[in-house]
Order: sequence, then C-alpha cells, then structure tokens
Amino acid sequence: MTTLTSAPEQAVPAPASASAPRRRGRRARKVTSAGPLTHVLLGLTALLSVFPLYWTAVAASKTNAELAGTPPPFLPDADLFTNIGRAMEEAPIGLAIVNSVIVAGCITVGTVLCSTLAGFAFAKLRFRGNKALLGLVVGTMMVPTQLAIIPLFILIAQLQWVDHLQAVVLPTLVSAFGVFFMRQFLSQALPDELLEAARMDGASTLRTFWSVVVPVARPAMAVLAMLTFLTAWNDFFWPIIALTTENPTVQVALAGLGGGYVPDTAVIMAGTLVGTLPVLVVFVVLGKQIVGGIMQGAVKG
Amino acid sequence: MTIASDDPRVAAAAAPPPSAPPAPATAARRRRSRLTRNRWGYAYVAPFFVLFAAFSLYPFLYTAYISLHEVRLSDIDGAVFVGFGNYTELLQNEFFWNAARNTLTIGILSTVPQLAIALGLAHLLNYRLRGRTFFRVAMLMPYATSIAAATLVFAQLFGHDYGLINTLLEAVGFDRIDWESGTWTSQIAISVIVTWRWTGYNALIYLAAMQAIPNDLYEAATLDGASRWQQFLHVTVPALKPTILFTIVVSTIGAVQLFGEPLLFSGNGMTSGGVSNQYQTLGLLMYDQGWTNFRLGQAAATAWTMFLIILVVVGIAGLIARRRARAER
Amino acid sequence: MATVTFDAATRIYPKSDRPAVDTLDLEIGDGEFLVLVGPSGCGKSTSLRMLAGLEEIDAGSIRIGDRDVTEAPPKDRDIAMVFQNYALYPHMTVEQNMGFALKIAGVAKDEIGRRVAEAAKILDLEDYLGRRPKALSGGQRQRVAMGRAIVRNPQVFLMDEPLSNLDAKLRVQTRTQIAALQRRLAVTTVYVTHDQVEAMTMGDRVAVLKDGVLQQCDTPGALYDRPANTFVAGFIGSPAMNVVTGPAVDGGIRLAGAVLPVPREKLARAAAGTGKVTVGFRPESLEVAPAGEGVPVVVNVVEQLGSDAFLYATLGADDDGDVLHTADVVVRTEPRTAAAVGQTVHLRVREECLHVFDPVTQLRVD
Repeated sequence: MTTLTSAPEQAVPAPASASAPRRRGRRARKVTSAGPLTHVLLGLTALLSVFPLYWTAVAASKTNAELAGTPPPFLPDADLFTNIGRAMEEAPIGLAIVNSVIVAGCITVGTVLCSTLAGFAFAKLRFRGNKALLGLVVGTMMVPTQLAIIPLFILIAQLQWVDHLQAVVLPTLVSAFGVFFMRQFLSQALPDELLEAARMDGASTLRTFWSVVVPVARPAMAVLAMLTFLTAWNDFFWPIIALTTENPTVQVALAGLGGGYVPDTAVIMAGTLVGTLPVLVVFVVLGKQIVGGIMQGAVKG
Repeated sequence: MTIASDDPRVAAAAAPPPSAPPAPATAARRRRSRLTRNRWGYAYVAPFFVLFAAFSLYPFLYTAYISLHEVRLSDIDGAVFVGFGNYTELLQNEFFWNAARNTLTIGILSTVPQLAIALGLAHLLNYRLRGRTFFRVAMLMPYATSIAAATLVFAQLFGHDYGLINTLLEAVGFDRIDWESGTWTSQIAISVIVTWRWTGYNALIYLAAMQAIPNDLYEAATLDGASRWQQFLHVTVPALKPTILFTIVVSTIGAVQLFGEPLLFSGNGMTSGGVSNQYQTLGLLMYDQGWTNFRLGQAAATAWTMFLIILVVVGIAGLIARRRARAER
Repeated sequence: MATVTFDAATRIYPKSDRPAVDTLDLEIGDGEFLVLVGPSGCGKSTSLRMLAGLEEIDAGSIRIGDRDVTEAPPKDRDIAMVFQNYALYPHMTVEQNMGFALKIAGVAKDEIGRRVAEAAKILDLEDYLGRRPKALSGGQRQRVAMGRAIVRNPQVFLMDEPLSNLDAKLRVQTRTQIAALQRRLAVTTVYVTHDQVEAMTMGDRVAVLKDGVLQQCDTPGALYDRPANTFVAGFIGSPAMNVVTGPAVDGGIRLAGAVLPVPREKLARAAAGTGKVTVGFRPESLEVAPAGEGVPVVVNVVEQLGSDAFLYATLGADDDGDVLHTADVVVRTEPRTAAAVGQTVHLRVREECLHVFDPVTQLRVD
C-alpha cells in the first residue's frame, strides 16, 4: 500500500489454505453446474458492471436534449469524435495520458523492485528486528492517505516540486502492500532448500537474489506490476494536490474537466472516455491474469 | 530455516557443553561472521524503509505535530502551539459531526450491499460456468475504472434533467429525483458508485476463499442431507468468516477515507459536499479545511481523528478474530 | 578425496535448551559411504547441515581432510549436496542447473560443458539437458540433483534423504545405482536417511542417532549382530527385534511363567542391582518348541508373506500375576506350518542369538 492510495484497492485478505486442497476443491466444485438462473444473474451483473463504461461513449456523442429523449439513445454516433476533439481542447488530456504513463510506469518499476527486495528479506532472511519491521509494514496499510498529505505538500512546496511528476512518483513508491504481497508469495514459492543449494553452489547473497529469487518471484512480480500500474494510473487524492491542470495526470485532468465550467456533459464524457480507454484496453488484454493475481493474492494472504 | 544464521544473541547465550568449550577467540570470530550475514536483511529492506521513512513515517509524525498547532497554508513557518485545541475545536464543530455522520451512513450504505452482493456473486461464480473468465473480467472492469471517471459517469447517470436513471424512472411512472440535492438520495448515489467499483473485486476475493474450502465438507454435508442453500449457510459462510471480517475491515478503512466520489459528484469541484454539506465526508472536510480554508492544523487534527477511527475499527476486528481463534482452539 | 571428522560437534538451536546435535564424534574415512540414520528429530539432518556449513557449529569442530572447516562458508568447503526435494532451480535447464556452481566459480565455458556432458553421460541424462526440471519425472530430477553434485567433483558428497520423494520401486532401483556410483567415483559420502533398510543396504558404515546423540557407528552387519543398546536393537532390522524386560531367575529370565535361558555371566551382570534383565531376540531367531518347553505366547495376527510368515503374538501375564512384561512379540516361522490365530505357541530362542541388555542403562551386556 502506498501511503497515498486508498487502502482497499490492494489489500489481500487473510484466509490461507494449502494449495493442494484448494486445487482439489476447485476441481470438485465444478461438478455442480450452473443453472440458467445463475447465468442470467451473472449476465445481469456483468451488464451492470460494463454498462456505465459503455454509456460514457454514448453520452459522449449526444447533446443533453438527446440524452433525455424517450427512448434514450443506446448507440454512440459520429459526434463522439467531434466531442473528443473538444475535450482535448478543454483539458490537456493528451499530455495527461503521457504523464500518467510516465508516473504509473516509474511507480510500477520502483515498487516492484523495492517490494521484491524487502519481501524476500522478510520471507527468508532472519535479522534482528525483522518481525517488528514487518509489523510496521503491515500497520502502514491501515494509515489513511490523509495522514501524510499535509507534510508532503509542505515538502514538495519547499522543494518546488508542485506540478512536477516526481512529486507524485516518489511518495507513491512506498507500497506496504507490495512488500507484504511479495513476502507472502516468496514464503511459499521459494523453498529454503533452493537458497541453500545456491549457497552450496557458491553464489553470493546478491547473486542468489538475481539468479534464484527473482526468477522464482517473476509471476508474483508481474501480478504486482499490473495491480500497481492500475492503482497508480487511477490514483486521485495525492495527484490532485501535488499537480495542477497545467501538468496533470489523467485523473487530475478529469477532475479539472468535471469540476470546471465545461457546460457540455458530452465533452466531459468524451474526456472521461479518452482518459479511461488506455487502461481499460490493457485491462481487457490482461484481464485474466489480473483476475488470477487478485485471487491468488487473496488465498496467499 | 533461513539462509542467514540465527539470532547471534541466543546462540551466544546458549551454554556450550562442558566437554568442549570453544575458545573465546573462536566465539568472537563466529559472532562477527554471523552479524555480517544478518546485515544482508537490512540491505534488502533498506530501499523500502528509506522511502518509507521519508514519505510515510516522517509525514505521519509531522501531521501529528501540525495537529497541535495553528498553521496557515500561507504561513507555514508561523505555527503557533495550541495543544489539543484543534481537536477540541473539531469536536465542537458541527461540520465535523455532520461529516462524521455522512461518512458513517455512506460507509454503511456502500459496504453492506457491496459485501452482501459480492458474497452472492462469488457463490454463483463458484458453480461450473461457461464463460467463467468473461464473467470475472467483466465484474472487475469497474475496479479498473478510476474514481474520477466512475464518478463523472455516474454524475451524468444520476443527473436531474438528462440522467438516464431519471429518464427510466419517469418512463415507469415515477417522478424525477433530484439526487444531488437530497441528503439520502445523494448519499445513496455516492454509495452506488462505491458499490459499483468494489463489488466485483470483493466477489473475486470471496471466490478465492471459497475455492480453498475442501470439497470433503460439501460431500459430508450432502450426505447429511443439507440442501445447497443450507450448505451455503452452514459450510461456505462459516469457512469464509475470516475473509468476510477482513473485507469488512478493508472496506471500512476505504469508507473512512472516502474523498474522490463526493468531491466530483457535485459536478463543480466544490469541497463542501453539496450546498448544505449533505454528502461532505471526513476526507472531504479535511481537504476543505486544508486547501479551501488553509487551516492546516485543523486539517491535520481531522486526519489524525480519521486514523484513530480506523484504529478502533481494526482493533474491534482484531478482538473478534482473536476470540474466534480462541473459540476454535 | 578426504576424510571427514566431527570433533565433539554440537548444535543448539536458539530458544531450545536441548542440543539438536550433542558432542558428535565421528570419523569418516576417505572414500567411505557413511549413513546417518535415526528417527525424525534425531539430529541426523542437522549433523549433515553442520558439515555442509548450513548450520552453525556451537561447540566443537568439523574437519575435512586436515582442514578445520568449522568457520568456513559452504562454498569454501569443497563439498556438494543432494537435497531431499532436489532443490533444482526451476527456471534453469538441466544443463544450467548442473553447471551453475561451476559458472559461479568462474570455470571456462567449454570446461563446464565438458564436465556437464560427462556427468550427464554417467547418469543417463544426455537427452534431457535442454529441459526444465518441471518437464522431468521424479527419478530424472533426482539424477539431475546427483549430477549437480558430481559435476563439481567435490571432496565430499552430502545427501539428505535423496530418495524419500521417489515411489517405492524406483527407490530400491535408485538405491543400488547411487551405491554403485559412489563406489565407482570413490568420493567420501555422508548420507542421511530415516529408513534403516536404506541405511543397511547402502552404507559402508552406519551411524545411528537418537535425540542428538550418537548411539552406535559400525558396519551394517555389526549393528545387526551386536547392537550397542536397546534403541539400536529396536531400530535396526525389520520387523524389529523383540525387546522384553523381566525378573532374573536362576538360569535365565522369567517370561510368562517360563524361563528363557540366559548365559549365567551376562545374567549376573545385567541383573545386578535391580534383579531384572532385558533381553532381545530377533523374529528369525525364534523357534517353535514342543509344549511344555519354551515361553508360551498367544497368536493375535498371522501375516503371510509367501516366503515367510510372521506371527504377532502376546506374551502372557506371569503366573504370579506379575504383568510387568506383558509384551508383543513378533516371530518368523515357516509359511506352510504357521500357527493359527488364538493358538498358544511355545517359543525358544537360539542361545547365540540372544542379546542381553542392562535394564537401567539399556546398554548391551557382553
């Protein structure tokens, strides 16, 4: 958990169970097939989940009057592109997307690296005070974002970092969740014997980390990277304090668009669509992995 | 076992058998080599903790310091010590109690349906399904949507004159509702946004926990004549209790900090949370104090109060978990 | 090649008051195959790991050849280890797994290739060099783990229950392969197992441990024929030796109302002090005696193995109500003439096969 993102976005729950019964349970449970009602209910939920996103595209191409018509419109039309163009003029969404890619990319790389290093140490190395430090990490997950922002704001104001991307990147690198996630994964996935084998083979501690730990940790690192990127892309609270619409991330630009004096809902919706689409495309492509990662994290936690 | 050696204090304290006392020099040398190896642990956690100290620990403490002072955003160096003045002022401030009440009601309105629906969905997803991955990914789409985007879309959907929801209500014979201006209606609308974003995520968490339940339990329940619904009540839900407790804690922590949705729901970026503060949450109030009224001391006190509320919630959950664990022993 | 010496080596785990390995003295000869055996928690793995450098040595020392390695890190000990779960690097091919240590040691690439190929040939792994561990069977993984040790050409091989993850049939097969390989390479080997059959069939010598203390270290034959105490007597051999305690009487030990003859001198020494004596006799050293002679037992279960039959029987309580030595006894008999369940059988022990122990110290009396 970064200090600057809300807690529920990443935390993993506590139930744990060995992987063997889990696999067995999964296979066996499948025997009970879903009836038509189940499919209908799930279909409805899926529709409700996706509809607001689709509606963004519809609303982005209609005037208010058209939207209020009976029956309401359910297909976007060509005005969509006109409105996207207008949104891009009203708010620097292109710049925002570039900024968000940079910010979320840096945060992801840094977080995964720090988390893997620390998670490995907490999972497999014994050093004085390790339990207390891990407790500190876990405790951090409960701390609300609000608790850090005033001093951080003062800090970046003094460093004259307001409106600079590093003001968003650096504080968000601290991910207690990432450390905890990697620790949970490595405690299970990395047998002590493997580390001992590396020691017997004469590998130094650093060599062991790069040649043995990182390859084993790679699947969890990928999951953590996806979740971190998503969270960083969607992060809202700290960016709207640290940045202005002069040099925004996507969320800051959207907040500006929504909170500004743009009279036309369609333009706001068009901006929302453009700002959301990149991450949604990534999500659809990697959806299966992200789902797997969240569920894996749930059981591991 | 670990690749680093064990705690040197304990090993050194352990009495060597009388038959073979190690030479003092040997012992000293050994202790040193152990320490060297142990230090690697610190090296690995160092990057994290350096960042942690700079961007988490220091700010937490500094916020506590600020909360005891009267500080204006325009004159940060001119802090005046006021003791717990900010806190007592806060407790006498009707805006604080209003925000606390709103946070509580929105928290309940969003958390309870969210987790209940998630549990039901997880149960459905646990059946053998065609298009399993499709359903799971579709349900997680809201999670991938940012607060800002989700709120803007829902603000449109809940709009008075042009919103789809009112259009539909009118079509089935109801009056249009002014969602934004009413206390309950605005809080329900905001809760809907939160529920929409988080239900699928929680459903996946529950699903993962359900799949960890050994199938023997269901087989035994079937042999005992339990119906599917009874199995859900008497096998699934009890096994999920730790997970449910956990999600309640996590959702509550999120609810206490609720900020983006009420900020953007008004459509004008106002920190007041509606004209009569009908949906101003603690998170919004804190932002309002600090960045609209420039009273950082007040804002810091609000932030610490929020943290204390979270601590109480987590503490209660911890007590429940511990009592359960003891009961099971 | 080298000898290995444990010199009063002791390991005490933190937060434990009892040593996991207690002043272990053991001398392993150059090229010898020594097996450490004992029940779980006896300290056998800890001993091996102390030799490997994976556990601290809290007191005493360990030498490889003439060199004191007590303080040396694992990589400087010139040893190689085969782990119980093989500990193959999952992301490396068989070839990379086997060559990893050499690569770290900075050995030239073609030299690594040559040595890996050589080991692969010995272990019949040539067709699998490009595979990842995941794509190998259990037996193949085990051989890769062996190969990784062989490639390094170390002074000592350490093996920690390397067969415990194989199925029964493969285990027997691999057992002989490892033993043959060790003889061929003539590298000093320390091998840990909890399976006494493995210990007896593989080791030049077998060291039996219990609760961190070395009980006896000898050749398999000597362990079997002359166990140093009741623990070794009961641990080595399958089914286990029958060990019973009873009152010493003139000429022997009284069991179930009868007297089992014990040599006079041994009897006197064992019974001094307590008036009791502990005797041990193996299932195969029992003979069925005509009624009126020998010790009566009641048969509970008959196990027909085809080649043999085992009777699981109970020694009856003593006539005078002294039930102290009511005990289960296992008897090997001819399969065709085995007694029936419920029947009372009279048993006789061939005298040269009777082991006598002090009931207090549990030590062998000769």
